[in-house]
Amino acid sequence: MLEQLVREIRKGGSLETHGLAARLGTTPQLVEAMMEHLQRMGLIQNYSDCASGCQGCGLRDACSGQSTVRLWHTKFED
Amino acid sequence: MSDRQTTSVPEQPVMVGEKLPLIALAGQPNVGKSTLFNFLTGLNQHVGNWPGKTVERREGKFTFNDRRYNLVDLPGTYSLTANSPEEVIAREFVLRDQPDVVIAVVNASNLERSLYLVAELVTLPAPVIVALNMMDVAAQEGLCIEPEVLEAALGVPVIPITATRAAGTLALLNVIEDTLAGNFLLTPRLPEIRADHRIALDEILNHITGNVPSPYPPEWVALKLLEGDTEITRTMQNTLPVEKWEAVNAVLRNHDDALLAVASGRYEWIGRMVRAAVVQPRMGQISWTKRLDEWAAHPFWGLWILAGILGLVFWLTFTIGSPAQVWLDSRVVGGLSTLAGRVLAEAPFWVRGLVVDGILGGAGAVLTFLPIMVIFFAVFGLLEDTGYMARAAYVMDNLMHLMGLHGKSFLPLFLGFGCNVPAVLGTRVIDSKPARLLTILIAPLVPCTARMAVVAFLAPAFFGPNALLVSWVLVLFSMLILVLSGSLLNKLIFNGQRSAFIMEMPLYHLPNSRTIGLLVWQRTLSFIRKAGTNILAMALVIWVLSVLPGGNFQTSYLVQFGKFIEPVGRWMGFDWRLTVALIASFPAKENAIATLGVLFGNDQGVGLVQSLTSTYSVASGLSFLVVTMLFIPCMATVAVIRQETNSWGWTMFNIAFMLMISIAADSGVYHLAHWVGL
Repeated sequence: MLEQLVREIRKGGSLETHGLAARLGTTPQLVEAMMEHLQRMGLIQNYSDCASGCQGCGLRDACSGQSTVRLWHTKFED
Repeated sequence: MSDRQTTSVPEQPVMVGEKLPLIALAGQPNVGKSTLFNFLTGLNQHVGNWPGKTVERREGKFTFNDRRYNLVDLPGTYSLTANSPEEVIAREFVLRDQPDVVIAVVNASNLERSLYLVAELVTLPAPVIVALNMMDVAAQEGLCIEPEVLEAALGVPVIPITATRAAGTLALLNVIEDTLAGNFLLTPRLPEIRADHRIALDEILNHITGNVPSPYPPEWVALKLLEGDTEITRTMQNTLPVEKWEAVNAVLRNHDDALLAVASGRYEWIGRMVRAAVVQPRMGQISWTKRLDEWAAHPFWGLWILAGILGLVFWLTFTIGSPAQVWLDSRVVGGLSTLAGRVLAEAPFWVRGLVVDGILGGAGAVLTFLPIMVIFFAVFGLLEDTGYMARAAYVMDNLMHLMGLHGKSFLPLFLGFGCNVPAVLGTRVIDSKPARLLTILIAPLVPCTARMAVVAFLAPAFFGPNALLVSWVLVLFSMLILVLSGSLLNKLIFNGQRSAFIMEMPLYHLPNSRTIGLLVWQRTLSFIRKAGTNILAMALVIWVLSVLPGGNFQTSYLVQFGKFIEPVGRWMGFDWRLTVALIASFPAKENAIATLGVLFGNDQGVGLVQSLTSTYSVASGLSFLVVTMLFIPCMATVAVIRQETNSWGWTMFNIAFMLMISIAADSGVYHLAHWVGL
């Protein structure tokens, strides 16, 4: 299942966990668990917020770190 | 119900030489392992470090049914592969100290994540009991878990508990007692690996059998070698005779994909367990999310829904925000200006000018944005809280890929809708230097909130009921310029390379009015703070330049400068005042309005909007809106471009690039608008 997930990711493009779960015949929660596994293996990277660098933004007090959506991007190349 | 009283038994003295049953608590971080440990041991625990490591070791004793037990809290780990010191400690303890029972604490509300460690623990020699913790959280999330089914599927005892309330702990202690007495005769069901790797595993096992150092089980060592575990690989390389190691190494080289295959087998095992034991996981919410996403996350319809929502945001802004803004502009700021003019009639000219033209005309004009900004903040907060914003990002990324843009570039670009500063900083996710540089160059083309606020202020003035359509087209135009620039750069630099961007889609849920209210409040305060500091300072600088050197506006430095650069502005249909306002937007985009407020401050009692519409043609107004969307980024963005590119050359190139695009596009739009008679 993890291998199939990696194959899907290697195809590139924008992916989301519900769609990947449907393609893999499993739950979005399991896809998220596998994404975290790939992250620990160093194959993908979590996109962390840039709250530390928003000094120039007038809205920085209000927006930093509030997003609850997690994003990953690949580190491996085709 | 709490089992606390049942398990709290008075301490008994330890007999010299008495060997207490050793229980290990294993689990991933944040699954409630420490809560269970503290509950069982109470004050009878001590904390130290694991030998030779800086990782904390917690050990304690507890008594149950007149029998004493030794409990060791293992470090929180996700797996038992040697990825971290914690993982090495946990597995070495289980293998070398051979606990009589290992309690695997798992999070019932996220079995998919928690069971990976169990998949590894069941392959080790120690008996495993699964403590299914956080049952209360699982129930709150609508999950119905059947522990007896999970027990049958796993082949190890499963006890539901809620450690924070000590619920289920008595049952857990009884099962520990029964397991030690050998009353449980379950056989763990182990994860499997693909058939071709199974053959490789057997080959490795043949080569290493007889040479595996104690206490490692040969089957487990073979699996770890196949997984590429660095510690075990090093140990076996040092232990095996050279020819045996070469044979093992040859098998490993032929199966270098086994690293994923072994983990894959464990996830398939987890999938089977979850399917068996979890009944209708959050079905109501999931089915709603699925149904909505068939449209909202659709590559084609999703874009139209996004465009429609954007249109709705503008409609709300112009229906509610703009009339409120006009009222504030003409009645409040205009009224205050008239009043201040009267009160300060006898005061020195510079005091009157400072208050009426500088403070009220400049920063006051920007504060009239407030209703528009509040609507932006509320609508975007609402969309974020319902879970829609993730879908918006997803469908936009799809579009970017269709246009040939690099997926990774979209992440920072999307941040640009809030502010271009985090957009430029967000390019740090892009590994390739040229790709990152090019994304930085196009990031300022994303219309930020400040640009949108200027548009929301001016569009109704020049276009009345058509302001909604014009604003919508302006955003699309801006995105078109971005996509065209991005596509061109992608072809030149990225060579069509495709990488992936994966997003966790939150479930849709009803928005929480308190969350949105708090968000709007915080953002509004930030905006007011900005208007009262940076924008006020800029308005005062503009005012000072408009009165120096001799107090005559017509001979001031500002007018002289404006007339000097006016010929450039003429290409775009601007007089010197619009040109100066455009240049003044460099420190912050809202300054364009503050500057116009100062420059038109002489028309006391008349709002800025009226002054502008009576002075400029619709073509000039449209031209100013277009240039607002495309002009060089604000000072803060330029500063981070310098910081992120570490080059003044590229920073200047970006300014020149944006200047060229804005002047070229704007001149075209102005002349076209003029030609059609606007």
